[in-house]
Amino acid sequence: MSWLDRDRTIAPPGFNRWLIPPAALAVHLCIGQAYATSVYKTALVAHFDASLVQIGVIFSIAIVMLGLSAAVLGTWVDTNGPRKAMFVAALFWSGGFLVGSLGIFTDQLWLVYVGYGFIGGIGLGIGYISPVSTLIKWFPDRPGLATGMAIMGFGGGALIASPVSTALLRFYDPNSGAANWVANGDSVGKLFLTLAVIYFAYMMFGAFTIKVPAAGWVPDGFDPSRVRSQALVTKNHVSAKNAIRTRQFWLVWVVLFCNVTAGIGILEQAAPMIQDFFRQNDGNSLVSATVAGGFVGLLSLANMGGRFIWSATSDKTGRKNIYMVYLGVGTLLYLLLALFGPSTTALYVILAFVIISFYGGGFATAPAYLRDLFGTFQVGAIHGRLLTAWSAAGIAGPLIVNSFLDAQGAPGELTAAAYQPALLTMVGLLIIGFVANLFVRPVHSDYHEPERSLVGATTGEARA
Amino acid sequence: MKAVQLVAGWALVGIPLAFGIYQTLTKVAALFG
Repeated sequence: MSWLDRDRTIAPPGFNRWLIPPAALAVHLCIGQAYATSVYKTALVAHFDASLVQIGVIFSIAIVMLGLSAAVLGTWVDTNGPRKAMFVAALFWSGGFLVGSLGIFTDQLWLVYVGYGFIGGIGLGIGYISPVSTLIKWFPDRPGLATGMAIMGFGGGALIASPVSTALLRFYDPNSGAANWVANGDSVGKLFLTLAVIYFAYMMFGAFTIKVPAAGWVPDGFDPSRVRSQALVTKNHVSAKNAIRTRQFWLVWVVLFCNVTAGIGILEQAAPMIQDFFRQNDGNSLVSATVAGGFVGLLSLANMGGRFIWSATSDKTGRKNIYMVYLGVGTLLYLLLALFGPSTTALYVILAFVIISFYGGGFATAPAYLRDLFGTFQVGAIHGRLLTAWSAAGIAGPLIVNSFLDAQGAPGELTAAAYQPALLTMVGLLIIGFVANLFVRPVHSDYHEPERSLVGATTGEARA
Repeated sequence: MKAVQLVAGWALVGIPLAFGIYQTLTKVAALFG
């Protein structure tokens, strides 16, 4: 398997670095399917005769495994290079679908937990961080743009998987023409098999296209001294082991946790929330289910677009400043949403759109922020450890919102006022994140790697 | 050859992404309809 080794992926002279983003996107577009599980959620509930919570656990396991595997295997990914990491991610991600389909065909829900949740979740974690370090090395002049393009794919993957999965379910289920049709288990199993094959092929394109830059390579016209002169952008390097001992890592962890928790609060509840905000005294909402579906689609676009646009913007503004915007302006927008959101649907939609674009931007800008603070030496591994903030936020965000809403009344009867405590809690969280970001300073030299341990490890082929 | 590789690479990810965005926009249209 030496053809997967980092040494075999060094780019020849003249290699076009713009081939790297599509390779990274190929992986992220595949693993972004994780956000499209709602397509077959009802079908799995019916097939297993299970509750929504029991089926929801599949997704929860996958997201927890994403954070854990990214944290635990981050150093392995940095050491072995992007091709091997992408290949292994493809094996896990597709393997998860295969085992999951076996669970569906044999009516064993636990096998779906193990397959899609556990095995697939590991594929998610490795796949998510696999291209990050390489992109940063290919685009030292525009790391925010580069990682924004890749991580945008994670948002875009759901946009593709959702209509494709629906079409495949209709194709596999002979009863798809029936009124109030819910796909049968057999068709979901076949969908899983199909996705396993398609995603494996796509991820192989990524794995065999990606290359690491040769030692000492820099883009034409790039002057590293200009980057180094910017505040907070270090010319030194910190190992992953040392990074988690620094105050800066945990401040950025808090920043990401607060930003993601606040965003998930809206995303998770998007469709019922807009209907509840405009519920009339007679109990009916001014917003229909179809319009609410359109709103969810719009937020998906904001999530995806924000990842690219805000992350690319951070190359100009600096990472600390852009997080000030995500968290500071985000606080104001959340406050406006809580206080004035119910006044008009247009205002509500605009506020939610910008808030979710900041949510996506927070994800995509994180790798470049870590590069600025800790250098490129083990930035992939450090990013992997940071993603535990996502796992924690994935639990905290829905828990905060659902706990407040449960105390306010039953679903379908809630109004805008019922959301105020949850939204104001999110405002508090964003303020905590804002303050944490304020305290981010350059990492102390005690944590820097000695020059001798970095020979060939920070540029070019090594550790990419 | 390099240009072909570049176009093919971007098309392979760009076309599905454009399809996904188009499909989402048709849903979003309901918001303004």
